[in-house]
Amino acid sequence: MSSKRFRSTNGSARRGVVLLAAAVLASTALAGCGGGDSGTKGVLRVAYYAASGAETMDPYDGNRFWPTINMVFDRLIGVDKDFTPIPELATTWEPNADLTEWTITLRDKVAFHDGSTFDSADAVYSINRMIDPEFDSPVRAVLGIITKAEAVDPLTMKLTLASGEADLPVLLADYRALMTPEGSQDSVGTKPVGTGPFKMEKLDAQGTTVLVANEQYFFGAPKVARIEMPNIADAAAATQALSAGQVDLMLTIDAKSAALFSDTSKFTVQRIPSGDWNAIDFRVDQKPYDDARVRKALRIAADRQALTDLVLGAGGGVPTCDTPVWSGDPYRWEGDCAQDIEGAKQLLAEAGFPDGIDIEVFTSDVEEHMVELVEAYQEQVKAAGIRVTLTMTDASAYWDNVWMMEPAFVDSWGQRPAVQVLNEVYRSTATWNPTGQADPELDAMLDDARSTLDAGQRTEKYQSIQQYLFENTAIFVPYHKTLVRAMSANVKGLEPVVVDAVRWEKIEVG
Amino acid sequence: MTGYVLRRAALSVGVFVVMAVLTYLGVAALPGDACTALLGKFATAERLAQCRAEHGLDAPVLQRLGDWMAGLLRGDLGYSVKRSAPVGELMVPRIRNALLLAGVASLLAFPAAIAVGLATGRREQSKVSRTVDRAALVAMTLPEFVTASVLWLVLSVWLPLLPAVTVVSSDDSIVDLLPNVWLPAITLAVLVFAHVMRSMRASVSATSQRPFADAARLRGVAEATVVRRHILPAALPPTVNVVAVTAAWLLTGTFVVEVVFNYPGLGRLAVDAIADRDTDLILALTLLGLAVFIVASFLADTVIRLLDPRVRAGVGRA
Repeated sequence: MSSKRFRSTNGSARRGVVLLAAAVLASTALAGCGGGDSGTKGVLRVAYYAASGAETMDPYDGNRFWPTINMVFDRLIGVDKDFTPIPELATTWEPNADLTEWTITLRDKVAFHDGSTFDSADAVYSINRMIDPEFDSPVRAVLGIITKAEAVDPLTMKLTLASGEADLPVLLADYRALMTPEGSQDSVGTKPVGTGPFKMEKLDAQGTTVLVANEQYFFGAPKVARIEMPNIADAAAATQALSAGQVDLMLTIDAKSAALFSDTSKFTVQRIPSGDWNAIDFRVDQKPYDDARVRKALRIAADRQALTDLVLGAGGGVPTCDTPVWSGDPYRWEGDCAQDIEGAKQLLAEAGFPDGIDIEVFTSDVEEHMVELVEAYQEQVKAAGIRVTLTMTDASAYWDNVWMMEPAFVDSWGQRPAVQVLNEVYRSTATWNPTGQADPELDAMLDDARSTLDAGQRTEKYQSIQQYLFENTAIFVPYHKTLVRAMSANVKGLEPVVVDAVRWEKIEVG
Repeated sequence: MTGYVLRRAALSVGVFVVMAVLTYLGVAALPGDACTALLGKFATAERLAQCRAEHGLDAPVLQRLGDWMAGLLRGDLGYSVKRSAPVGELMVPRIRNALLLAGVASLLAFPAAIAVGLATGRREQSKVSRTVDRAALVAMTLPEFVTASVLWLVLSVWLPLLPAVTVVSSDDSIVDLLPNVWLPAITLAVLVFAHVMRSMRASVSATSQRPFADAARLRGVAEATVVRRHILPAALPPTVNVVAVTAAWLLTGTFVVEVVFNYPGLGRLAVDAIADRDTDLILALTLLGLAVFIVASFLADTVIRLLDPRVRAGVGRA
């Protein structure tokens, strides 16, 4: 979602000036000379952007303060570089035969920041808040399959599911599925007490938030004593701060700004394929998108590689064949979806549009790339007789009045594992199914895949689902984005992984 | 004088009421409201209804406006839905920061602009005067973010003298904030200097050629006295007006510079408030902006009355 991104308030002109400045820096070989007291030993300074303006440390709230929540709290289960589940606050997890009951063993002798002990009562309390229909946390869309959480003993919790789910550990590794102390719902937003590697010292999401190391962290004491997180709204201002040594790390930068940092020994740039994606969605309850042939024609008329390069910049993304499952997910299906203008024309003719078709796509600059996607698509599909009108709408009301409402509109999603994204966005009954496409066959395939115990068979089933989507879906997904991260060269121990998998306690500032 | 002040005050209240109504209706006419901004992509109909009921957004527009104005009379500026805080609490540190930025920029720009404008205006055709004027014209026409980027490159990167952006909280102490104010203040000062200097230069130049200045010279009055007694009193009033409007702008209209340098002033708060449909905050900022312009214009008029005997006597142009 948007909170994971910096926004650019002044558009390309300002970026151009900053890039020009970067060129001057490179030519004079003076880059990085500035900074004065940059790299203060023991302090990691991370630029971030308070996108919502209403940030809270309650991890289950829609306005959760990301990624700070992941410094203060831990999940039961984390993920490694390959997105394989690994123990965090849980040490083992075992399902019953039909995958409807899971027994979770919790880590012993773990203390919250206030000294109290973490146990199954806290875990049950946390899960219950996540799935509470009245509270209606966004995490419920991920873990709503859990119908009951109960404490078996202080270190054992049993989870009962509505139906079998082989990938429950992957779902529990959601970055928001964090463990909070029992009874903390009124205080956690402003006075967070977690088990994580850092303790909150000063919470000021609009200004600078300060965290200090939790020396008793169960994975070992963090390498830096403090993390300072200044809120910098403008992407170019944040790059200025990194250039001048005022911050050490920008978790994401615009791919086009990477030139600022890539040619000098003073900075490190990481390129990390991610599961963030944009899409153009077509409502199947609106003509002409109720016709599967029209939908497929609209999708196959695009040149995805060219579209990816145009919208995100060269190397800025990984083309995809209308699957929301990203390239790092073990269930990813790699299809062949080269641009097929003749095929698109033929499908349109069969659907009763021999002279091409006029469509209107609604978009907004509510998040980056959402306008550029339609502009590039508009040009590409002309050859197939698809005449696209781009309609700009107000950013403030986009998610409320346009998204899921207009016949065709641009969408944006953050990374989710296959099991989550397919159920959260594509299932007939999903709250956030943006196209209204209700397909019992797809639902049955999803049920079948999630309740298959054998990993190999499950992979085959999830790949078949993606192949099925390519024929039928109303969601055109051209790419997954590659994140670009920039940091001072003195920042060590930060693996090139998406933020959900970052081990904050391992980062050093040399 | 008292009657004049009372008339101005009454007029200001009237202007504010009209502006508040227009602002409120304008915000209400925009798509979305504070709850859609707060809940974002995952706003369901139930959550929206709950949020609107909780914050009174389901009441008719005029009733809400009336409630806000009634609160204002009690000294209550309202509540920011998006920021979960009373508007007054949000604004106090921002007003302090805006005053600091405007104050530093004013000190850097105004005295120098008036002095240079006077000096170059008296010798309008000299090479130096024309060069200064052209440089000021360039400074005026450059977008603020270009000036800002050049200053950042020179003062933060090449000569690491000043912090590139503000990385302290809006309510941190003045001591913590002060090092961060220089780059935005210098950027604004360049722009303001150019505006005020050109205004002063043109005014001095025009006044120097007026018959009363020549008459004084012909009477044998020393040039320094001609400047002090005849040229300055006539040339300053138009510049005082420019200074007043510019000073008011420095307090409320510096959005671009605030964004470029991440400075926590009022401009960014205002733009964010509009994007967030944070109506109480928008109204409070409108009131503040209006108050700033009224006070600036009142001060300017008062200074002009003191400077210009014709205005004091109620003759000639006012």
